[in-house]
Amino acid sequence: MRHRIISENLALLYQGAAEKFGALPAFAIRESPLQWKPVSYNELYQKGLDLATGLIDLGVQAREHVGLFGDNRFEWILADFGVQLCGAADVPRGRDVSDNEFCYIIDHASIKVLFVETHEFQERIISLKDKLPALREIILLDSNASPLEGVRKLKDVCEQGAKLREQGDRRAEQRIAGIKPDDLFTLIYTSGTTGHPKGVMLTHSNMISQIRNIPGCHNMNDRLLSVLPIWHIFERVIEMYTISFGGCTYYSSIQTIGEDMRNVEPTFMASAPRLWEKLHEKILKGVKASHPVRQILFHIAYFLSRQYNASTYFITNKNLKLKQQAWWKRFILLPFHLVRWTIVLPWYGFFNAAVLERIRLGVGGSLVATISGGGALPIHIDRFFNYMGIPVLEGYGMTETSPVISVRSIDNLVVGTVGPPIPETEIRIAHPETGEILYPNKNLPYGGMSQRGEILVRGPQVMKGYYREKELTSITLRDGWLHTGDLGIITYNNCLKILGRCKATIVLSSGENVEPEPIEMRLQQSQFIDHCMLVGQDKKYLGALIVPALTEFNQAGFSEKTLEELAANPETYKVIRNEIHRMTSVSNGFKRYEQVRDFRLLTRNFDIGKELTNLYKIKRHEVENRFNNIIGDLYSQKSKK
Amino acid sequence: MEFDTQLLYAHDQILLALMIFVIMLGMGASLTIDDFRAVARKPRGVLIGFISQFGLMPFLAFSIATILGFHPAFAIALILIGCLPGGTTSNMFTYFSRGSVALSISMTTASTLLALLMMPVLLKLYTSGFTSQITASMQAAGTEAEFVIPTGNIISSLILVLVPVAMGMILRRKSPDWAKTAEDTAGFVAIIVILYLLGTAFIRHGGLFLRTPVEVYIGAVGIGLTGFLFGYWFSRLVGVMPLFQRAISLETGIQNGPLAFAVILLSFREPVQSQMLWLAILYSTFIVLTSSVITLYYRKKGRFDYDVYRNTVIHNRLFGPEYVTHYPEGFLPPRLVRDPSQGNSPSQKR
Repeated sequence: MRHRIISENLALLYQGAAEKFGALPAFAIRESPLQWKPVSYNELYQKGLDLATGLIDLGVQAREHVGLFGDNRFEWILADFGVQLCGAADVPRGRDVSDNEFCYIIDHASIKVLFVETHEFQERIISLKDKLPALREIILLDSNASPLEGVRKLKDVCEQGAKLREQGDRRAEQRIAGIKPDDLFTLIYTSGTTGHPKGVMLTHSNMISQIRNIPGCHNMNDRLLSVLPIWHIFERVIEMYTISFGGCTYYSSIQTIGEDMRNVEPTFMASAPRLWEKLHEKILKGVKASHPVRQILFHIAYFLSRQYNASTYFITNKNLKLKQQAWWKRFILLPFHLVRWTIVLPWYGFFNAAVLERIRLGVGGSLVATISGGGALPIHIDRFFNYMGIPVLEGYGMTETSPVISVRSIDNLVVGTVGPPIPETEIRIAHPETGEILYPNKNLPYGGMSQRGEILVRGPQVMKGYYREKELTSITLRDGWLHTGDLGIITYNNCLKILGRCKATIVLSSGENVEPEPIEMRLQQSQFIDHCMLVGQDKKYLGALIVPALTEFNQAGFSEKTLEELAANPETYKVIRNEIHRMTSVSNGFKRYEQVRDFRLLTRNFDIGKELTNLYKIKRHEVENRFNNIIGDLYSQKSKK
Repeated sequence: MEFDTQLLYAHDQILLALMIFVIMLGMGASLTIDDFRAVARKPRGVLIGFISQFGLMPFLAFSIATILGFHPAFAIALILIGCLPGGTTSNMFTYFSRGSVALSISMTTASTLLALLMMPVLLKLYTSGFTSQITASMQAAGTEAEFVIPTGNIISSLILVLVPVAMGMILRRKSPDWAKTAEDTAGFVAIIVILYLLGTAFIRHGGLFLRTPVEVYIGAVGIGLTGFLFGYWFSRLVGVMPLFQRAISLETGIQNGPLAFAVILLSFREPVQSQMLWLAILYSTFIVLTSSVITLYYRKKGRFDYDVYRNTVIHNRLFGPEYVTHYPEGFLPPRLVRDPSQGNSPSQKR
């Protein structure tokens, strides 16, 4: 906390960081595995001022919306600096968007100046230009690509700005002074799961409140390895947070993450659950491939760690508490846990040092904490990493709350929850249909803990509203309370646990409500299932659409080369059916109506940007539309039998 | 106190020998020829460590034994422990205390070789008073024999112990996978055997723990702790970086326990052998506990300077060897900034 810069707006944050951290590297760009290019805080700020001046010279007004379309690269950050320093707001978006969405966003946000990342991107925009009369300037980020006609290079704009600044142009400083806390710093269009994109208005004070309230203790020695899409709000808040304490952000990518983790030795990471699943798989594979004696040592170590941590959680009251535990139960169990803890401690200490440390070295060895967000982290992955000694802090948030609502901290690590709300943030649990407040509610036992309902949030991070969507804003934001549309409960140790989306709930014709997400997550733990989605709204039973994992089937001796061939093989169905039975049996704690009775194999994997969001969440609506026939078939056939 | 029966039966001794073999093999498996070369390249730290290990430690052992008025057999054992070289255990503890593992390994290799020369000389120097006491008591009991430190035997047992170390090094060259396994197994085996020895001692000679004089416990715990303390402050006075300070401190306090067993078993006879072994067992047990505590303390204390060190190392790794990390004024404590041998940041030469 001591080293964090808290300023009034982001432009002042950038300025303060340049003054305070000067020559320290702010960002590092990968050129080859062991060759990275550092950019210092000073350099970045100066370049940002040049670009801001260049933009002002191009006619960008204060509070104007500037488009920023592209994926992870250093110039993206520079462009963001430029936009913030000239008092404007950026409208970011990745490459994976359809042409229609592009036009919609540019038109809806009245974008006049637009940054595009690559050569292909500029071609796409140019071809759409007829539909976009308001678009005046296009600036190309990639310095290696040659700009088409009517497109400027980022470098040229910067140089023009630098020239002006040399002549004494100080308009950027004036703009910085004119930024008000309530001004937008970004307008993020979320594709959401339904309808056209919505522009989320986030203000400087939203973001500054996040920097102020995110728990954690970091300083200039910290290294952040970045893999999330750069324009995603989760990635942005982590980057701003890193700037506030003077750490360095190293840009990696999904393809090189393993290598980069070992070279950069990050102290801190933020990523989506998918990355942890991949790492988990990789670690287990590494263990399987190692020497038999070391395999045994690993299993002993993991066993001890589980025993040790389970007791630690119990003793320190950090176990997941969905039900109130009678005091006498704890009284009786406590001595047993204390004894187990004491017996296991020395053994755990040794194995932790000798065996688990090797595993930790595989991910750099310096990770103090990692944050997982943007989707639910499967509980077994969560436990695995925490037992491994790599604290994974799961957080919860959404673009509308810029984004962090709650996150586990190292001192308050309750596995299975998303931690307590961050400071200055209030949470309510409301009944999804009646809207009755269930938590906090004095009339209910324990003030409403363990009551399930929709999560409502109020706090300084809540967005200003949806841009030019009054009606939608008034539905989502009522009396300052943001209706998240997520189902959750408050546990008995004051942490929030997320259960799923309100709208995702499948109501069977029998009237039973099924939360599909936990079941899907359970099914995806099977090595043979890549993705799956449950269906069955208003039907008698649950059905599933499943994308089988081709590589795993090949390893298991199946010779099929494509998903089509795999889907045609009845043996595949047998394997998957067995997996479903194994994973969701009644003995595994699933209720009868929660069982998948029938399923169909899909012949095409889910794509990011289409059926999956960038953080690998399923867009149910899209999948349902796309595979409508298959879903129909799933239920019609069965009824014939 | 006297031992009425033998502390270790024949099969225990075989077990102990096996453990020594496995541990020394594991130690060898963690070493390469490069580690020896590193000593020659950077002799300063190793030299300071050498003074600390062979200058301070035996003297501390002698002082403790004298001040606490040890029985001569215990005194000889304590001094023997004080004269031992460092073992691989210290490398692991150094690693977790955020100290310089490279220095720890260099010191281990250098001291293991130098022990061949230093141990007999130091033992003779510090134990002369105690050996004459034993001789006197033996003569009082009626035997005509004279008790002398078996110098020749000690040297040959040291050489014998170095054989598995050399084997481990060859293993490392031939098969790194097996070498890693040997390394991991060694530590595990050591803990099991020490616990077994403690357990059997408890069952067979239940009264032994009670009959052992308090000062022996104090000595067994104290020799490690004073080693840590003096190693830490001595290196601080000489002006080494905190990173190396922690390595020297741990290397001084943690001795090669299994080597003590080997030397005692191979070179000493009753009536002193059992008592010496008992002290060696107590030392080996307590040193694990004390160094765990010290390591946790160092780990916490050294967090900041280690982070600075790692950060600059990684900057040099990724941004090129010429890159110099400029921390803003006031961020680094004066000691890290002012270090004469280093650049703006600890690992970077100016």
